[in-house]
Amino acid sequence: MAARIGIFAVVVAVFLSIPAFSSAQDLQIVNAERRIDLSSHIVKAFLTLKVENIGKSAAAEMLLAFSPTQIKNLAMVQALAITGKKKKKTYLPLDVKPTEQPDAPNDTGYYRVTFVSPLGPGETVSLEVLYILTHSLEPFPVEITQSESQLVYYHDSAVILSPYHVKQQTTFVKTPSTRVESFTSIEPANRAGKEIKYGPYENRASYSYAPVIIHFENNSPFAVVEELVREIEISHWGSLQITENYRLTHGGARHKGVFSRVDYQSKRSVSGASSFNALLAVLPPRVNSVYYRDDIGNISTSHLRTGFRKSELEFEPRYPLFGGWRATFIIGYRVPLEDYLFEASDGRRYLNFTFGCPLVETIVNKLTIKVVLPEGSKDPSAILPFTVNQDLQVKYSYLDIVGRTVVVLQKDNVVPTHNVPFQVYYTFKPIYMLAEPFMLVSAFFFVFVASLAYVHIDLNIARK
Amino acid sequence: MAAKPIASPISVALYPTLSVFTLAIGLVITAIFFIYETTSSRKNRSLGKELATSAVASVFLGFGSLFLLLASGVYV
Repeated sequence: MAARIGIFAVVVAVFLSIPAFSSAQDLQIVNAERRIDLSSHIVKAFLTLKVENIGKSAAAEMLLAFSPTQIKNLAMVQALAITGKKKKKTYLPLDVKPTEQPDAPNDTGYYRVTFVSPLGPGETVSLEVLYILTHSLEPFPVEITQSESQLVYYHDSAVILSPYHVKQQTTFVKTPSTRVESFTSIEPANRAGKEIKYGPYENRASYSYAPVIIHFENNSPFAVVEELVREIEISHWGSLQITENYRLTHGGARHKGVFSRVDYQSKRSVSGASSFNALLAVLPPRVNSVYYRDDIGNISTSHLRTGFRKSELEFEPRYPLFGGWRATFIIGYRVPLEDYLFEASDGRRYLNFTFGCPLVETIVNKLTIKVVLPEGSKDPSAILPFTVNQDLQVKYSYLDIVGRTVVVLQKDNVVPTHNVPFQVYYTFKPIYMLAEPFMLVSAFFFVFVASLAYVHIDLNIARK
Repeated sequence: MAAKPIASPISVALYPTLSVFTLAIGLVITAIFFIYETTSSRKNRSLGKELATSAVASVFLGFGSLFLLLASGVYV
């Protein structure tokens, strides 16, 4: 009896000693300012939040809510904690992870932001959140002719969707041009030139949502790479060979009617306003042997400018791209090995390369990066700042016996902000490099031995 | 951070020169081997000399063809 009471007391004590996390209602957003940039087809939103802890216990994290359509199109969410004032502001990156909440109303999606240090009761913290949405500009009209301009819809909420009570908030929307066909007006809302201001709104309850539609002109190039396969082949004899297979489309309003080359070339500012024909790829600085070709052959419309910090390849597909049109091509180049392959302190080698797509302002729907490690490499592992699907394959290439290990990294919905360095570690004994010349030496030796055998063997039938 | 960059054991700029020289030496020794084969009679032939010459020739030819592949851009 006494033992049972004792156990019960211990269990209660254990439960009471676990720090209680604040529930969603213990935080409050004092001030929120949201700036949405609609200049290109990649929608960038900057949220500046001032969060206050109105509960009794410390809060270690907070939730960011997104509507179901936004969660599907969200390419990246980053959060920074702002400390200091005015000129001496410092920004600390915070850990942001997607999360599920059991009682989410209307399929809201959540991201959990962990604070640098738990927020005490009554304290406030300033955060800056950046999130990037892809495929969020819906072309309307869906089909346009060559001489029309491209108009798109942007669906969002004038009131920031949040699981917390928001005391004061304002949203600024920046459009690429002054032509805005219409925008939903939720008082107070007004438009000045290229900026639409929604707000300030006071004291909105949690999960309040006021849908707005902005119909505006956006002629920026809607360059969408449907599939990109980048193969990085490491050769310990001195170079890194990169081959990129692109399937590029124009992701805007579909083109209808005929394509008049005469109109396109004579009235370029009016004809094909939303089409694009030039693309820019940013390549590493010491790049050589760059080629640009497709199934037909080499494409000569390209210019390469090498530089000290980066090289730029400006290239044009064989035809300008209008809505719904596709172009498939291959870009390949070589970079020196010592720029990218390093030795770690524990003896392992690692490749330090940039993730993502070299094209500027393009969305990649499906990106596959294959790192081909030299023969004889063991224990491959990849370290990335965000989640990707990892896989291992085998590739047979020049002078291979057992094949080369390939680390395959796959990610969907990639934007230029994903161009960050990643590392692939592996172990390699330098003696394995001799396997290739040894194979060639033994091949030549076999030829000599065969000629020796021919000379020595006596095939005469007659007795001497 | 001081990460040590890894480069090729032989400087990449040396590949064309190395390939020319090693292939030249390899072909000269191959010539020596075949001259020996054709000028010696069955009784005077020494298997040891033949094997030694062919081994040295195949080493030079093997490395020469490797450097030739590397110099022409096929980084094996």
